Amino acid sequence: MTKDVRNNVIRDDVVLVPPADIYENEECFVLRCEMPGVGKGDVEATINNNELIITGRVNPEEGEDRSPVYSEYSLRNYQRKFRVDENINAPAITAALENGVLTVTLPKSERVKPRKIEIAFEK
Amino acid sequence: MFTTFDIIDDILGLKGAVDRFFNDTSTYGRRFDLPYVNVYEKGDSLVIKAVVPGVKPEDVDIQLIDNSLVIEGEKKADYTDKPYIRKERSFGKFKKSVRLPYRVDPGKVQALIQNGILTVHLEKSEDAKPRKIEIR
Repeated sequence: MTKDVRNNVIRDDVVLVPPADIYENEECFVLRCEMPGVGKGDVEATINNNELIITGRVNPEEGEDRSPVYSEYSLRNYQRKFRVDENINAPAITAALENGVLTVTLPKSERVKPRKIEIAFEK
Repeated sequence: MFTTFDIIDDILGLKGAVDRFFNDTSTYGRRFDLPYVNVYEKGDSLVIKAVVPGVKPEDVDIQLIDNSLVIEGEKKADYTDKPYIRKERSFGKFKKSVRLPYRVDPGKVQALIQNGILTVHLEKSEDAKPRKIEIR
């Protein structure tokens, strides 16, 4: 087994850009992003000036008492920014974390939702 | 909505991509088969961690074969039939074999998936431990 031992330390200055999927339906935009190693209290989504910022903090794996003997990855904190326009109902944004995948739901504001227009017929 | 192109950003993004390609291949570069694993050791116990975001525990199968731990499973796509603006995540089946430094006790294997990371605890098997031989 080749040994590739790296420091088991989370550096603050290096962030990983998590891969994301974004889809759109009639009601909202849904963003899913992969942040393995991030626990429930360690993820944050903020929206400011049409910029959605997602950050996730990770803790070093295991304690200092366990030594890595083989390593293919090192955990990093995550950060990714998305530009969103004004047609998002910002206060209604919700987020959920499951199995290391963050799902952010961004509801569209009422005025851009598709609307059926009632047509009045004369009798 | 989500602006997908902006020419200045794309140019700067390309520069960043080139820089990353040459300077930063160590992190999450596809040097290994997925999922990526780390192995930690303490005394007579081993901890193997694998990065499996979005994989459900019921879709993972772990087996001890000889002195290897075989992690096999499927990351099922969570795609919807709606139009996608971005598709960057990858899905599919995976299989990875991790060679263990010594034989482990098959009865003491514990595995759990938390926050998208699979953790397998293994204990060294009794007959792999050093034994003192009495000299008569």
